[in-house]
Amino acid sequence: MAHAIWSGSINFGLVTIPVKLFTAVKTDDLSFNMLHAKDEGRIKYERVCSVDGKPVPWDEIVKGYEYEKGEYVVLTDEDFAAVNPEATQSVDIVEFVELDKISPMFFDKPYYLEPTKQGRHAYALLREALSTTNRVAIARVVIRTKEYIAAVKPIDGALVLELMHWASEIVSSNTLEIPGSEKLPEKEMQMARMLIDTMSVEEFEPEKFSNNYHDQLLTMIEARAAGKELPKVKKAPARAKVVNLMDVLAQSLEESKKRRGAGAEKPATRRRKTTAA
Amino acid sequence: MPPPRVTRRVGSHTLSLSNLDKILWPDDGYTKGDLIDYYERVAPLALPHLKGRPLTLQRYPNGIAGETFFEKQIPRGVPDWVERVTVPTPGGSRAETTFVLCNDAATLILLANLATIVLHVWTSRVPALEEPEFVIFDLDPGEECTLRTLAAVAIAIRGLLGEIGLSALVKTTGGYGVHVVLPLQPGYSYDTVKVFAEIVARQAAQRLGDSATLQRTIAKRPRNAVYLDYVQVGLGKTIVAPYSVRARTGAPVSTPLHWSEVEAFGRRRTAGAPADEFAKYTIRTVPKRLEREGDLWGAKNWKKQRLEAATGKARRLWSQPG
Repeated sequence: MAHAIWSGSINFGLVTIPVKLFTAVKTDDLSFNMLHAKDEGRIKYERVCSVDGKPVPWDEIVKGYEYEKGEYVVLTDEDFAAVNPEATQSVDIVEFVELDKISPMFFDKPYYLEPTKQGRHAYALLREALSTTNRVAIARVVIRTKEYIAAVKPIDGALVLELMHWASEIVSSNTLEIPGSEKLPEKEMQMARMLIDTMSVEEFEPEKFSNNYHDQLLTMIEARAAGKELPKVKKAPARAKVVNLMDVLAQSLEESKKRRGAGAEKPATRRRKTTAA
Repeated sequence: MPPPRVTRRVGSHTLSLSNLDKILWPDDGYTKGDLIDYYERVAPLALPHLKGRPLTLQRYPNGIAGETFFEKQIPRGVPDWVERVTVPTPGGSRAETTFVLCNDAATLILLANLATIVLHVWTSRVPALEEPEFVIFDLDPGEECTLRTLAAVAIAIRGLLGEIGLSALVKTTGGYGVHVVLPLQPGYSYDTVKVFAEIVARQAAQRLGDSATLQRTIAKRPRNAVYLDYVQVGLGKTIVAPYSVRARTGAPVSTPLHWSEVEAFGRRRTAGAPADEFAKYTIRTVPKRLEREGDLWGAKNWKKQRLEAATGKARRLWSQPG
């Protein structure tokens, strides 16, 4: 497995389990560079001041929060440091709850937790206890300098730390116009249920679904890359002389003439005698 | 609110067109409806150049400022009546690819409804996919190359072909450059055509000196020269079809020209950029031009030629040690 992105400990009560954090999902997105269409030069970004129109070096850049249109509060590195949560490197378990009491909307991004040598026993204990009680742990976590709420769940033998959204980040569906469940005819409901039954599967198999857009893009990129390479491979190393190419062409024409003659296609009719040099 | 759909009857097919008001060219305000109308109007002249040629679609579902994708594989949901051809595509991640064949106006409009702006076609047709129907020289001007220089290079290539008894046609690419093509009788292989194109391109570069380059690495090309691309020849390689729209501001169209028009560009006193001139041929202006001129690449001008005699002449005239 790749190297850990973070190491710290899970804390609950008086128990401390030293752990490392690993990526659990990766995205398939292809990354592209922006190029100038004409000459394929890489596009560079420049930080330009909107007041004097000149490029600005990094050490002259500060962050500002626009609290009103055009009005900024400027914050310095010290200001950010003052409110940064302490980099405790810990997963502090606050409470335990049954998994289905948490709306799936809250889950954001999963990471794997792996115990270090000293933590193996306590790790297994926590995992089994969570499994048998059908509960997950809710914890406060600090990764780099940002604080998160997260759930610790047992999945396939591993403890998974899943970062969650804050309640304030979830948008309510209240503002949408959604019909209620009243006055739905039983007959239609029956048909809908039947449809669902016929389309139901025993297990969800994510492998069945492939990312077509991604695959097609890759196909295209491979083909292009292959197309660009071809001429180079076929190319004679030195500057070929026109005279040699003439021989190649004459031979090539001769071959296609034979091919045409052999095939059922009607033979070349207007062929004039060529005067070879 | 469901997006408005419109049904349109084209030939024997009824098409359901969607989002006709969607703006594809934000600077010009041209919509998907405008794109569809354009392709419908030019279909009679555009179709002979599309029929039977495997087609790669370049789609812009969110307009020319949004992301684009190239589709070789026929898009899902395209109705069964749309004709198609399946060819092996070794090297790609698909073993074979099923290409759309744009054989009728209904298909062309259907593709436009999928926000297909640019039509890239093979240079061969079913069933003879291994026999190119023309030789193509893609003349790509450098950043500082003028319209005058580009025209001079195109005319020089026509002149070279004339020396060996061949006649060529020309069109704008819709972008910066022009395509010069030489229609062929059937029966030539891609290998033959490739070598022939290389001989002509080398001879042209040798005669034209600084104004033309065969350098494939962009950074090494002189900025005021025309890059003579003769390698766009090969099985599966595509060119922008005549009358295809381009995804650029103004909605320019790849437009066949009279050689006299190219000659006029060569006499220009001002040193304008080619793209400025070619930007005049758009989805607004080209339908009218076509009513006046017809298809300059049509059957009347599309003289299919043989290479044997020309090769003999080229050998006599151009072969010199060096």
